[in-house]
Amino acid sequence: MSDAIVVERLVKRYGELDAVAGISFSVPRGTVFGLLGRNGAGKTTTLECCIGLNRPTSGRVRVLGLDPTAPRDLARLRPRIGVQLQATSLPEKANVREVLELYAAYYGIAPRPAEMAARVGLDGKLERQVAQMSGGEQQRLALALALQHDPEVLFLDEPTAGMDAFGRRILWGEVERLRDAGKTIVLTTHYIEEAQRLAGCVCVVQRGTIVAEDTPAELVAKHGGEATVTIVADGFEPGDALRDLGRWTNSGAEWKLATHGEPGLALAAVVTHANAAAATIHSLDMHRPTLEDAFIAITGEKIGEAG
Amino acid sequence: MTLLRMFLVQTKMHFLWYFRRDGEMIFWTLAMPVFFLVLFSFAFSSGPTSRTSGFLVPGIIGAQVLSAGFWGVGVMLATFREKHLLKRVYLTPMPAWVFFASLVVYRMVLLAAQALLLVAAGALLFHVRITGNPFEIAFVLLLGTATFVSLGTIVGALARTTESANNIASVLTVPLAFLSDAYVPIDRFPHAVASTLRLLPSTQFIDTFRDVSIYGQSLAQHGAWLGMLVLWALAGTAISARTFRWT
Repeated sequence: MSDAIVVERLVKRYGELDAVAGISFSVPRGTVFGLLGRNGAGKTTTLECCIGLNRPTSGRVRVLGLDPTAPRDLARLRPRIGVQLQATSLPEKANVREVLELYAAYYGIAPRPAEMAARVGLDGKLERQVAQMSGGEQQRLALALALQHDPEVLFLDEPTAGMDAFGRRILWGEVERLRDAGKTIVLTTHYIEEAQRLAGCVCVVQRGTIVAEDTPAELVAKHGGEATVTIVADGFEPGDALRDLGRWTNSGAEWKLATHGEPGLALAAVVTHANAAAATIHSLDMHRPTLEDAFIAITGEKIGEAG
Repeated sequence: MTLLRMFLVQTKMHFLWYFRRDGEMIFWTLAMPVFFLVLFSFAFSSGPTSRTSGFLVPGIIGAQVLSAGFWGVGVMLATFREKHLLKRVYLTPMPAWVFFASLVVYRMVLLAAQALLLVAAGALLFHVRITGNPFEIAFVLLLGTATFVSLGTIVGALARTTESANNIASVLTVPLAFLSDAYVPIDRFPHAVASTLRLLPSTQFIDTFRDVSIYGQSLAQHGAWLGMLVLWALAGTAISARTFRWT
């Protein structure tokens, strides 16, 4: 069996609202799968259905071949998965060491508080009480709890929300390390950069359905649109050779090329042409389509915080 | 072994949660009952007598059992849910019964400390003598704790927020303590009212506990009421098992 997770026609209805309206996907073992979408798109509900926290209205979910809605299967699944939830959920009066020891007891493993704390950048903070930690530090401790028992599948729900750059670097490093060690990782995010960097496969989720699914590079290639080169220069006008590169538009001294070709080569050609014509270049800009452009093209929305 | 360690570490976490909150909580659970004993001993008689105080020592311990169930466990569960702690615990391999067993034991230990403190205060200040069989006394106390903790988990299951759990707990605990023979003898109510109040599990528990610990009666004389308490405990467990939500 090569798929760690299989979700088929998953529906979760709250009254009139379909939070998840028929989502299907599968996640091969040893890969990172990203659910990308705005808040409220249905990412968290989908993830909760995979870990037994939420009961699907209809559809089928299998994780490691087990059914999270069946109590017996769920009991067998729990030791094999690790979860970091979106809202912090730590006993606030306990310190880092005590929390790590508690979770080691839950999983019947030897506690390794010092090692785990170091792994998530909390070394030297073993005696710090949860209530006195910053939101980002609490998120990193939550990550340590998800990792401590060395799970086969890791579920991360908006793992870097509220984390600073240091926390993000640690989390991204861990995800890449675990992927290389053959673990399967599912993460929800509304950070484009995170999906682009980590996920082998990205599902764009909008209003409870998957509207696009591919590798980040393919999503950009298919939906990102054209690359652009913009030059502002006195005495510049694109000749025939440049006109073959793509579509040119201009307003005054600003000329803009939209191209499906490689923008770096186009840029070089534009500069060579400007120099040959002895034009004075005031500014020069190249924009390669990003996953964000693709996201906007696919959903018709900016991802942003709102929504 | 794994389950035992899970249970012990989880129980330790409950105590940690209890003792590291503000000292106010510790005051409420340990000092307030003694304060009530002194206050009511003077208030309810022309002068404190071992008879009045002898009525009050088991009565106040009984009231603490009610409050341990409704406040201690009911409100605690609602708080844990509101802080998403229950949800996180549900994702771990710990069986639900281990979690609830640790709650019961945590509350029993606190109650034992409260009870010993009250018995000592009663003996030193008012010459109250506990005459019953210690095993029978402990048995009644354990059964009562199990009953009211299981009823308290229903409060924790039904209340959506800490605030509503607090309201339900105070509506239950305060009147019940006054109507269940804990502070005031219900013989002072009209006969029909007193008979009705004796149908309450809280009255049956507190009266049994007092009769066994102070008035030297045996467990056998209270078989029916003990059976009722077991039924209440089972009903409470069944209802909370059906209604309890981790999320």
